[in-house]
Amino acid sequence: MRLLLLTLLLLVHLPSSALPAPDFRLQDIQLSDYKGKVVYLDFWASWCKPCRKSFPWMNEITNKYASEGLVVLAVNLDTDAKLAQKFLRKYPAQFNIAYDPQGSLASQYKIPGMPTSYLINKQGELVVAHKGFHLDKSASYEQEIVALLKQ
Amino acid sequence: MKRKTIVIITIMAVMQLAGCANLGVQPWERDLLAKDEMALDSEGVDIGLDDHIYFSKEATSGGRSFAGGGCGCN
Amino acid sequence: MQLKQTKNVSATLAAASCALLGTSVQAEDNSEEWKFDTAILYYGETDRVQLVEGVFNANKDFGDEHYFNGKLVIDTLTGASASGAVAQSGVQTFTRPSGNETYTVEAGETPLDDTFHDTRVQASGQWTQPIGENYRISGGLQASKEYDYLSIVGNGSLDMDLNQRNTTLSAGISYAFDSIDPVGGRPVDLSSMVVDNGQFDSSEAYQQAFDATRLQGSEQKDTVDLLLGVTQVINRRMLMQFNYSLSMSDGYHNDPYKVLSVVDQQGLTQDVVYESRPTERTKHSMYWQTKYALDQGVVDFSYRFATDDWDIDSHTIDSRFRYNLSETSYIQPHIRYYQQNEAEFYNPFLSQGTALPEHASADYRLGKMTAITLGLKYGMQLENGNELAFRLEYYQQTPDNAGFEQPGTLADEDLYPSLKAVIAQVSYSF
Repeated sequence: MRLLLLTLLLLVHLPSSALPAPDFRLQDIQLSDYKGKVVYLDFWASWCKPCRKSFPWMNEITNKYASEGLVVLAVNLDTDAKLAQKFLRKYPAQFNIAYDPQGSLASQYKIPGMPTSYLINKQGELVVAHKGFHLDKSASYEQEIVALLKQ
Repeated sequence: MKRKTIVIITIMAVMQLAGCANLGVQPWERDLLAKDEMALDSEGVDIGLDDHIYFSKEATSGGRSFAGGGCGCN
Repeated sequence: MQLKQTKNVSATLAAASCALLGTSVQAEDNSEEWKFDTAILYYGETDRVQLVEGVFNANKDFGDEHYFNGKLVIDTLTGASASGAVAQSGVQTFTRPSGNETYTVEAGETPLDDTFHDTRVQASGQWTQPIGENYRISGGLQASKEYDYLSIVGNGSLDMDLNQRNTTLSAGISYAFDSIDPVGGRPVDLSSMVVDNGQFDSSEAYQQAFDATRLQGSEQKDTVDLLLGVTQVINRRMLMQFNYSLSMSDGYHNDPYKVLSVVDQQGLTQDVVYESRPTERTKHSMYWQTKYALDQGVVDFSYRFATDDWDIDSHTIDSRFRYNLSETSYIQPHIRYYQQNEAEFYNPFLSQGTALPEHASADYRLGKMTAITLGLKYGMQLENGNELAFRLEYYQQTPDNAGFEQPGTLADEDLYPSLKAVIAQVSYSF
């Protein structure tokens, strides 16, 4: 129940649930290229403690749902790329990593905390936002992904 | 009188700090603040030990957190 | 879980404790392991008090910002501290607090009470958790016991995050209950110390005279503390905290082992009386702390101003500068400056022939003084990720004469001897 309220609350923060996700290009990744796929967009940094928990989980969903059309894109916000590399050696990622050292994408998305993740549907619309990462809620995160993949 | 002055100064300082909405950082700019050594109580064990020494050697205690009761050394 | 793989002691302990609590380790996916901080400290004054103190501190993150902290402190105090009586040009005889013995102090020496040795055990637990998005509550209990003293403290606080957690407002309250039952009973305020110089006909007569200066049973003190605080992130490198605290205590504030000399116009001691402090004290303090992150370390600076209705004002500046020598080691110089003026009822001695004041204490800790601490800490991360640190500090307390004239031969005595101490500490976190 609390989770539902929280999700609703976060959804309310977005002007409309059918808001198109702002397009962006980071290195060789263009968000609009993923139209037709479900995108799990994650903002993370090496110093963010819950991110250590979210990486194994993002690997898991990548392996599980990539074939069904899920793309996990994790945007790193470290000012120093070396720190991100160090983190990735410890917590290897099997999904896409992009770098936003100036935080310009993060401020465009107005992320409320670290980490923050968004689910973008096949039409390129922002549908869900999650502030923080809570392993005990990962089942419901997964349900949301499954629901979007089925659309 | 002294007490009144302190209360006024405190309230002013609190309002000043709370009112400065332009102070602070964005959530992704906490890389340095997130370090363990930047926690206000990062020296917790040392400070606890020091507080015990100074509590029993000087007339003032507390301020950082609760002064509390404690040993019968002062 | 295979034992072979759990080389990590903390993991094993965590498993053991969780088993005791009847919860499974697996169910706590989102939590961190137990983290332990241990330290042993030696504090030694030249020819005076020696203290050895051990700390065992345990932290556990139960996930989603639910924290438990448990702490156990054990210390042992030996040695003598200044009793409050003044040095004299001749030998002085005093009665021990128990009343069972006397001891002598050589000419020109500061009288010390050397019976003071005690072991103290303190245990505390604190629970902190969020309430909704922007609030945190915390509550804790602490009990401390030594031979003649018992203290029980409860505290609770509420934090509110504002402005994307850049501002945190805190409010807390703590209540402490202290009970003291001194060796040999509590001396009657300002009663004369009974010294057996052979003037009594029998030991019963002495005992009767001694007992007349004593009250049996325990005395109590209640303390309520209120704390209001603001923590503000200034920028990417700087963080500030500002606290106001109010502490009100009611009850027995005397140190039952402290005395005052009553001297005549020649400066010769005619009598020794037990101290008397007010039964209430209200303290205010303002505390400001700031931390600044450098590329190579952290600067930590704090200032505290405290004032109370015993008329003691104090200023404390405490600063630490952590300098990272490498990714896994650092040095940290520490400097602390403390200054206080004397309590309104502080008197280094009383004068014969003038009426006894309502309250009086010659306890050097209530006198005018400055104190300096200089220290250095070296910390390093070991290959297994645990941290080992060493700290060495020097503490010097310099009392000042707050304008009391020393009559007659007392002018030749040092009534304000400085106190020098060494602090050495080894810490290990795992």
